[in-house]
Amino acid sequence: MSYKLTRIDPDAPQNSQYPVGERRVVDDPMDDQVHRNVFMGKLENIMHNVVNWGRKNSLWPYNFGLSCCYVEMTTAFTAPHDIARFGSEVLRASPRQADVMVISGTCFVKMAPIIQQLYDQMLEPKWVISMGSCANSGGMYDIYSVVQGVDKFLPIDVYIPGCPPRPEAFLQGLQLLQDSIQQERRPLTWVVGDQGVYKAEMPSQREKRRDERIAVTELRSPDEV
Amino acid sequence: MTTEISQADATTFAIVDELKARFGEANLVVQPTLTGMPVVWVAREQLIEVMRFVQQVNKPFVMLYDLHGVDERLRMHRRGLPPADFTVFYQLMSLERNSELMIKVALHEDDLRVPTLCNVYLNANWYEREVFDMFGIDFAGHPHLSRMLMPPTWHGHPLRKDYPARATEFDPYTLTMEGQDREQEALRFDPEDWGMKRQSGDTDYMFLNLGPNHPSVHGVFRIALQLDGEEVVDCVPDIGYHHRGAEKMAERQSWHSYIPYTDRIDYTGGVMNNLPYILAVEKLAGISVTSRAETIRVMMAEMFRINSHLLFLGTFLQDLGAMSPVFYTFSDRQRAYHVIEAITGFRMHPAWFRIGGVAHDLPRGWDRLVREFLDWMPPRLDEYERAMMDNSIVRERTVGIATHTTAEALTWGVTGPNLRATGLKYDLRKAKPYSGYERFDFDIPVGTNGDVFDRGMMRIEEMRQSLRIIEQCLKNMPEGDYKADHPLTTPPPRDKMLQHIETLITHFLQVSWGPVLKANESFQMIEATKGLNSYYLTSDGNTMSYRTRIRTPSFAHLQHIPAVINGGFVPDLIAHLGSIDFVMADVDR
Repeated sequence: MSYKLTRIDPDAPQNSQYPVGERRVVDDPMDDQVHRNVFMGKLENIMHNVVNWGRKNSLWPYNFGLSCCYVEMTTAFTAPHDIARFGSEVLRASPRQADVMVISGTCFVKMAPIIQQLYDQMLEPKWVISMGSCANSGGMYDIYSVVQGVDKFLPIDVYIPGCPPRPEAFLQGLQLLQDSIQQERRPLTWVVGDQGVYKAEMPSQREKRRDERIAVTELRSPDEV
Repeated sequence: MTTEISQADATTFAIVDELKARFGEANLVVQPTLTGMPVVWVAREQLIEVMRFVQQVNKPFVMLYDLHGVDERLRMHRRGLPPADFTVFYQLMSLERNSELMIKVALHEDDLRVPTLCNVYLNANWYEREVFDMFGIDFAGHPHLSRMLMPPTWHGHPLRKDYPARATEFDPYTLTMEGQDREQEALRFDPEDWGMKRQSGDTDYMFLNLGPNHPSVHGVFRIALQLDGEEVVDCVPDIGYHHRGAEKMAERQSWHSYIPYTDRIDYTGGVMNNLPYILAVEKLAGISVTSRAETIRVMMAEMFRINSHLLFLGTFLQDLGAMSPVFYTFSDRQRAYHVIEAITGFRMHPAWFRIGGVAHDLPRGWDRLVREFLDWMPPRLDEYERAMMDNSIVRERTVGIATHTTAEALTWGVTGPNLRATGLKYDLRKAKPYSGYERFDFDIPVGTNGDVFDRGMMRIEEMRQSLRIIEQCLKNMPEGDYKADHPLTTPPPRDKMLQHIETLITHFLQVSWGPVLKANESFQMIEATKGLNSYYLTSDGNTMSYRTRIRTPSFAHLQHIPAVINGGFVPDLIAHLGSIDFVMADVDR
């Protein structure tokens, strides 16, 4: 499996563009290890799996909303959809305690520096979900005051399409993030090994489900409830 | 019927004669429009005098309802109007006359200055700042004329016709570390800027920045507080973090394709937002819709009123520290969505109303779903009233908190449930019925104290009344077409389109270019979920609107905050923010 490597550069020059840091696609960093020492490689693999399992099942979302999508995100938090089933019910009002930031809504030019500030205040490991068309690409708001996609300055892990996406779509996005976290390779300690963050290049759901999607020939009639 | 209308017209237009008598016929230009209110152009020099006159006239215009501008430079059809490059318009409301009045002032490009109205109508302050931001018009004597919606570092005035609309017409957005520091620094709150002292006597004031991201500000709203201990001495709300350029967007979308953008103005209101826009467009097009279409619209709008009020109730109580109500009200919302989705096919933003009707007819079995919802809700509302509003902690936090009177509310342009909570029985659905509301039997709930508690109770009672209206829709749904038989109905009725070449051509033109509406101005105000919401449309005889002004209730409600909360405590501010029920898209558009 190939990975996307992110390396934070603490000495990045002031004029560097967000997202700051180096990003490139690399092979599994474990491979080297495995070739060097079969036993240690396996142990490290197990350690990664255990840590990732813990991380993915207790994702604390940051209570952060921008527009309409936030209402659907909140709907996912409440009883009918119950996000607690996925271990993400611990909403945090402070970015310092949160693991995942959901950009739920339109990213405005006036708001972008503030979003960046809040993202910077979150501690590693941290993830970002872009929820809804506005956050994904600007959506229907190709207008002077809107940033055309929050990925212009933030690294995004999962994109959820929709305007707004249904709460179920948000929950699916969360599960996709969990799948991706399970594959991650982050430093297990700050003294041993490579200090880079390796994120798996996850398959696009659009491609993956294409056959299933085009196999549908009959749509439900709008004349019946 | 005709005599009634002419009588209503006579009272509405009486103010024109009063103005003529006072200022002389030669000094006024009366513009004929489809807005249903007198539109009078006055000279800039006379503006303040005219405003003072209408404010003090017998049956006064108590409320400055709206104030904005128009860039007239590209407008083709303006025969008979005073020459102008820019116009500033002032819309006033009189409750005693049950009518509005629009005053316009023509401005020349080289001299974009008008005297400020802040000394006559207090709430002109924010509106004038917005006009300055959007058009670059200077309001002489304004206490703090600075950018309102755009960042302080912004260049240009977006609503001018020579300003590009699309983000993709500019360089792609980038944010550098330096840039972020610069923007953040520009947003720093400087008390001296606002005439605030840092200390007084033996007190050092604390300045607290709340927002733009805070759990209790419902989105991206920022307010800077001057605190003496826990007491709010003064505060400065800061908005514009949610400005999506909806008014500029209308100038490049066809009349039809703008409908989805209206959904996203008050994003908890769904199709309720379509209503004023569609009604205003239908006035321009000269369409009168069938009573079935009207009733379907009323039913769906009231469904969304309930939905919005349920969201309000849950989050309002959560702001007061009650964690569980939101779980109850959101499960009710899910049931409401079940009905809405079955009928419109979408949850939050169905964009389901069409010029001349609605998108499609009610599906078979809709009555069963609506019935189930009507049976489900009333006991729930009783329970909310008992379990939530009777709660002693809620009462302690809300009774007598953030109180304001009817007179204050009118001064600040407060409308809707927040106005009725002060005891004034004013509901536009009764005062000036639209879309067939006159056929329904319902009450207007009013409060007594105008405090946080009343504002909360008001919503529960309004939901009961909405249920009554929906019940009547269910029982008396008229037969007939869901679309009007009119050449400008967009898109035209499908069965006709499949049969007649004429309708097919119309259909093709309407979806490729969009319908062309005659040059004129129209206006429609509705009682939306949060207060009075209106669309003031200017058509220049094109497929797109020349200028769309969206007056939203939440903008006025936020401007009102300092007047209510100064002297209160920080927890009172949180309770007040919860109780006014705003969404930022409804403020910044």
